[in-house]
Amino acid sequence: MKHYIYISLLFICISTNAQVNVRTKIKDVDSTFLPKLTGDFFYEGKMYIGEQYYNKDWMTGDILLSTGATVYDKSLKYNGLFDELIWLNETNFGKFKIDKPFVSEFWLKNNPYSTIHFKQINLSEPGNIKRQDIFAELRVEGNLSLFIQREISITGTQFNYVDNALCQYDVITATPIYYIKLPSNQYLMLTKLRRRAFLKLFPEKKKRIAKIIRTNDLDVSVESDFVKLIELMNNDKTL
Amino acid sequence: MLLLKRIFFLILVQQIALMYCDIKAQTKGKEIAYLQTDRTAYVAGESVCYKLYILDEATKKRSEMSKVGYIVLRSANSDPSLKIRVQIDAGMGNGSFVLPDTLMSGAYEIVAFTSAMKNFGDEHFFHKQITIANRFDNALDFRMVESFPKDSNLFQQPNLDFKIKTDKAVYGIREKVFVNLGAFNSKANVSVSVFEEPKIPSADKSIVETLKNGVDAQNIQRKLIYHSPENKGKILRAYVIDAKTQKTIKDAIVLLSCIDTIPNLQYAITNSNGLFQMLLSDYYNGKELFLTIKDAPEDQKWQIRLEDEFAQSGKWHPRLISNNGNYKEFIVKSQNIVYINKSYQLNKYTNEKLAIDNKSICPKFYHCKAATILPSDFVPLNDLPEIAVEILPQVRILKEKGKYDVQIFNPLMKRFSAIPPAVFLDGVYVDDNDKIIGLGSDQIKKIDIIDNERAFGDLVFSGAISIISKSNEMASTKPAFCSFRLKNDSINVGSGLVTIDPEYIQNKNVPVFKQLLYWNANLELNGTDDTHFEFYTSDNAANFTIKVEGISENGTAISASSNFQVNNSINVIGK
Repeated sequence: MKHYIYISLLFICISTNAQVNVRTKIKDVDSTFLPKLTGDFFYEGKMYIGEQYYNKDWMTGDILLSTGATVYDKSLKYNGLFDELIWLNETNFGKFKIDKPFVSEFWLKNNPYSTIHFKQINLSEPGNIKRQDIFAELRVEGNLSLFIQREISITGTQFNYVDNALCQYDVITATPIYYIKLPSNQYLMLTKLRRRAFLKLFPEKKKRIAKIIRTNDLDVSVESDFVKLIELMNNDKTL
Repeated sequence: MLLLKRIFFLILVQQIALMYCDIKAQTKGKEIAYLQTDRTAYVAGESVCYKLYILDEATKKRSEMSKVGYIVLRSANSDPSLKIRVQIDAGMGNGSFVLPDTLMSGAYEIVAFTSAMKNFGDEHFFHKQITIANRFDNALDFRMVESFPKDSNLFQQPNLDFKIKTDKAVYGIREKVFVNLGAFNSKANVSVSVFEEPKIPSADKSIVETLKNGVDAQNIQRKLIYHSPENKGKILRAYVIDAKTQKTIKDAIVLLSCIDTIPNLQYAITNSNGLFQMLLSDYYNGKELFLTIKDAPEDQKWQIRLEDEFAQSGKWHPRLISNNGNYKEFIVKSQNIVYINKSYQLNKYTNEKLAIDNKSICPKFYHCKAATILPSDFVPLNDLPEIAVEILPQVRILKEKGKYDVQIFNPLMKRFSAIPPAVFLDGVYVDDNDKIIGLGSDQIKKIDIIDNERAFGDLVFSGAISIISKSNEMASTKPAFCSFRLKNDSINVGSGLVTIDPEYIQNKNVPVFKQLLYWNANLELNGTDDTHFEFYTSDNAANFTIKVEGISENGTAISASSNFQVNNSINVIGK
């Protein structure tokens, strides 16, 4: 008897579930409504000796647009030579320079737990060091913010034989530029990481900063230590 | 045998769980609409102030899902007389609309709903009946909706702990009325209306009744075509069909742009049902939309068919009776008051206009710099092919098989690109190049050109040509067969606060006759203290009702009403 009850209950449940109407949903509705990236075709006609991209391989990234909207999971590369964000359109496999004024910030995802955050900074305020908009990696955000422009520049030329023809190639190397954003929104620039040059930027707080460097055994010429120093300066209430 | 039993048991549990999940899924995201209007009887030409509540059916709290609400006013034969789009913010939206002067006297129905509610059928919409009399209707022999005595202890004593108190029971004309709303046990937002008792019976439901009755789940017929909740803004829905075969077209690219000084574009691709959807941001409010199908085959008749977002499948079948003789006196009085106010131009209340955040961001086709050419800097040229030859070296216009083809020179490939460029006239994507060919230097203000191959989302163009005309030439062009042009409605805004201006009260030489003394769409109750508000009576001697409807933060519906009287020696019955 028990089995009959089990079986009949089972059939009731199956038939009830089978009566539920099926809805036809539109695929990827949200992606339809997302803003569209715009940009010029990026033509890599010239060969260089060295790597022109900050990230050699395509990385998945999110972009915060100047309109305030965010587009997610695009294949991106940051080109340090031209200071452009390159997008691989996976539908037509074209490489496009995303219109620079359209991008406020972008995040390159190394892995699920680590991202590289770039922000477009405006150095064109009167009295600032350089007059231009650049993409710079945001390493420290706080009272003092540290931005690193991952610039790749031509440092020389080299002649190589290609198919028995002598060709001239530009040699490109990474030449990062460090920008420290002060609370007054002014930027201080460092082209090379040197202890003395850095201390010169803060003449009034020189002693305190030197003490922080000593106490924490930091080598300012090493980028990771320099980042740590800015973080420590932000945490130090006496500065 | 034991194993078999266990297997049966497991399958049984799974099936019960599936049934439970389905019931949960049916109730999740379901919304209820409730609309409070300032009154239930109007004269055509008057304004209707309203407050629309969108609530979550499961929690009864204000819904955070839909950002757009729809209100339709329809006559007894179900024809829509007015269509209004409302901006919903945290489950509430308010505004006002003017009843057209031309409306016939009779019973009307206001229907309120959201896009998400369409998934559960028209019976899930909010319905409310109102009476409208034409200002020039002297016969007043229209039929009214039969109303039944209300079984409504709910309305009489809806919230026992919520009291409305006035400082007096009887007031004189042009006297200040102080109203005290007792403290409610939690924070709430209510709408308050103080209006003359209409004496016309109505089946007006309070928010408490609406939430208590709900919609009979058995009657809900699910629609097979899913309507996305409009949680970001209005969604335009349309189909691409072949006009010859009436078959829907899948994977068609539909472009949307509108007249602007900046070339703008948005696109969508049709699904297997031929349906496409576009999110219309505030940018498109009140603008004329130009829709066109990209690369529509010339030998086929593809066209765009728009879905009416206000459309309802169900008809309204009111039971109409012809016994309005008893209420004629009230209707005549209302007509006279409107007549007096129109004559003296006294329709001005103290209105607090609603501030709508205009977050209009133009969906620009490009964000980079373009080369700008001003034809006025050169000798006058007759048409675009001549302009291209003389002053646009990177543009070539060819005529093949009677059709004009615009090409752009690609500096990287050092030849004219085979991919067509995106051509815009007055910010609108041009669906037929013939529209721009005749434009000469006299008509063109400026031309912007980008000669690089460009991406716009997944679409690729060889470049962009944007022509801005001097006299908005795009507006006067005729859409191609594969194009569609429509005027996008604006968000309805209106009076959140209506009260009689104290200046009128003090001016004894001006008659002030009002049937609506006070309307406040957003009165906040702080949950601990009493709430006060005040207003003036007018020269209209009548019985008035103070009606409060709203919802608390914890999802408790608030409905309360109270009455007071205004005495006056002036009689306005009979002109």
